[in-house]
Amino acid sequence: MRAVAVTATASELLRYRHLLWSLTWRDVRVRYKQSYLGVAWAVLLPLSMMLVFTFVFTRAIDATSVLNVNMPYALFAYTGLVPWTFFSVSLGGCVNSLVANRNLVTKVYFPREVFPLSCVASSMVDFVIAMVVLVGLGAYFHVTGGWRFTPGAPLLFLPVVVSVQIMLTVGIGMILAMANLFYRDVRQIFGVAIQLCMFVSAVVVPVPQDGSTLSRILAVNPMVPIIGAYRDCVVYARWPEPGPFLYATVVAVALLLGGWICFRRAAMRFAECI
Amino acid sequence: MSYPAAAVHLSKRFRIGEAHDSLRDLLAAGFRRILGRVEPEKESTSFWALRDVSFSVAQGDALGIIGPNGAGKSTILRLLAGILHPDHGEVRIRGRLAALIEVGAGFHGDLTGRENIFLNGAILGMSRAEIRAKLDDIVEFAGIERFLDMPVKRYSSGMYARLGFSIAAHVDPDVLLVDEVLSVGDAVFRLRCMERMRALVDAGTTLIFVTHNLDQMQAICPRALVLESGTAVFEGPSRDAVGHYMQAVSRAYADRPTDSDAKTARESSLVEVEHLRFFTGGDEPVVWMRSRDSVRAELAFRLRRPVERLVVELNLRASAGENLLSFNSGRDDREFHGMPGAQTLTLALPSLPLSGGQYFWNIRMWDAQSGETILDTPLKYPMVIDDEGRATGRLTIDRTWGFVSPVSKTDRGGMMPATRSCAATEDVDEDLLLR
Repeated sequence: MRAVAVTATASELLRYRHLLWSLTWRDVRVRYKQSYLGVAWAVLLPLSMMLVFTFVFTRAIDATSVLNVNMPYALFAYTGLVPWTFFSVSLGGCVNSLVANRNLVTKVYFPREVFPLSCVASSMVDFVIAMVVLVGLGAYFHVTGGWRFTPGAPLLFLPVVVSVQIMLTVGIGMILAMANLFYRDVRQIFGVAIQLCMFVSAVVVPVPQDGSTLSRILAVNPMVPIIGAYRDCVVYARWPEPGPFLYATVVAVALLLGGWICFRRAAMRFAECI
Repeated sequence: MSYPAAAVHLSKRFRIGEAHDSLRDLLAAGFRRILGRVEPEKESTSFWALRDVSFSVAQGDALGIIGPNGAGKSTILRLLAGILHPDHGEVRIRGRLAALIEVGAGFHGDLTGRENIFLNGAILGMSRAEIRAKLDDIVEFAGIERFLDMPVKRYSSGMYARLGFSIAAHVDPDVLLVDEVLSVGDAVFRLRCMERMRALVDAGTTLIFVTHNLDQMQAICPRALVLESGTAVFEGPSRDAVGHYMQAVSRAYADRPTDSDAKTARESSLVEVEHLRFFTGGDEPVVWMRSRDSVRAELAFRLRRPVERLVVELNLRASAGENLLSFNSGRDDREFHGMPGAQTLTLALPSLPLSGGQYFWNIRMWDAQSGETILDTPLKYPMVIDDEGRATGRLTIDRTWGFVSPVSKTDRGGMMPATRSCAATEDVDEDLLLR
């Protein structure tokens, strides 16, 4: 019966695709309106983060030997920061998506999933632009001799990696959006938690893989194999390790379905509890 | 027969206060549960905003929903729109539904008028192609051609409202829900909105219209549902619904004798109004009468000290607040000698030359010796006039119609005498709103 409900919701969502499109477009448009650099921020943000971390880990303190990154650190940081920014900005939007659109939630009916979905979709615009810049960054290291790029077949796996990340993001995003509607504490907790998560998701520092208790706990995090897969496909031109990546896929699908079902069930009470 | 819009035994309960304001409360409640101190949900922490309401609207029909504040009108609309879910009962909607619950809900101030048309159209369920096709009509109806590419945050509130209504009015839904939106905008705009809604209904749209404006409601809806405290007290012809509505309003006011206005008026003055009642022949006070009825008003009040020269004024006002009729005892050379304690004053009127609708009375009193105003009540004494829908303006008077047809010279022989006259009670239009 739940499967029926999910397919019914999916077909309803399909009918409201114009709205999803419009809200995504609104978010993108509003984000860069009255801004001098406009959409260039999509590139400047991860790029400047990359410069910050590169400065900290290679100049302020030389941690490259400890970090054991077998590629130029700037490249490592950028390939981690771009998918991570997509993930964290999407979730940051999702947390507030229902509460920020209070007047729509209480005044107009449409499937509430549209709110978190449009947050993820609008962050994806930035993500795609930042990924394109990666090509330029790759060319730079290729020319300066920092890294030899040999694009190969594994690059074709990239859409799968992105899809898994989107499923994971939407699943978590729906749970966060719903939870924050009932308890505004969620937003505060999220702000701290997402900072912590960045350092255990192999974004700017690799995750320890020495078999210790800590490394085993951290292996639960599905973002580690996902970000690893980006580096595998794009930088190393090799296939991601199937085991961890399959695990991340299973977690992503489970969170998507679980989050969606919870969201559906709670959606009936959104307008009166917001 | 299946109806495009129907409510079946609809009930909705709301919580008073919030369930758990923060995680702290949730954790505290969780611990109490673990410790076995389960608090049963008290009936007093929730109330029924709607109780067992059923109705159905046929295709191309228009149903008005009226009732005092807090009767559950907006709750019904939100249930029909799918924004809220009923605790009991069921909503049945067939076809495409558009709900206009707030004009311009979902507008984004930083986006231009054009961008907001596309955004709001999508929110109301239109596709981009549809919106593109209707863009010119929407813009023209809203009258914002010159400002189409200006961010709506710089729009005047009137422009904002016009654009919002215009978009919703062009959705072409099978079922249209409208909540109170026509209270915004100027009189001309309100009139255009009414025309548009009527045109939609004529074209087969099913309309459900929530309003406080009985004139607007009667102009569009042949049938109406009257709600009082969450239950349907009447469903039937709009003209009859108005009477039930006024009784509900009177009861709602009677239940709240100490609303802040009345309280300050009482405390600051020497006068306490006990009641203002109207009689049209019988012994029972009425709030509902025909425009030709002779009316006797009875004002009962208490004075705290003697007032040598008491002047009383009764003002009859339209629901929008304009003063239509004013009866001032002082100007009629009548001053009363008020003694401490209960007094009763009567005013006899041969008829009230008003068209059908709702009106309110305001009572003022002066001490003519000192010139001091000792009473000025808020508009809380309602009256409903029924003129069988003959007049749409504010006033109505006796009249006689004549009709002279131009008769052509060539076929004069074959024509009947072309002058007819009739003494009828037809309409003299003096719409104070649209002066």
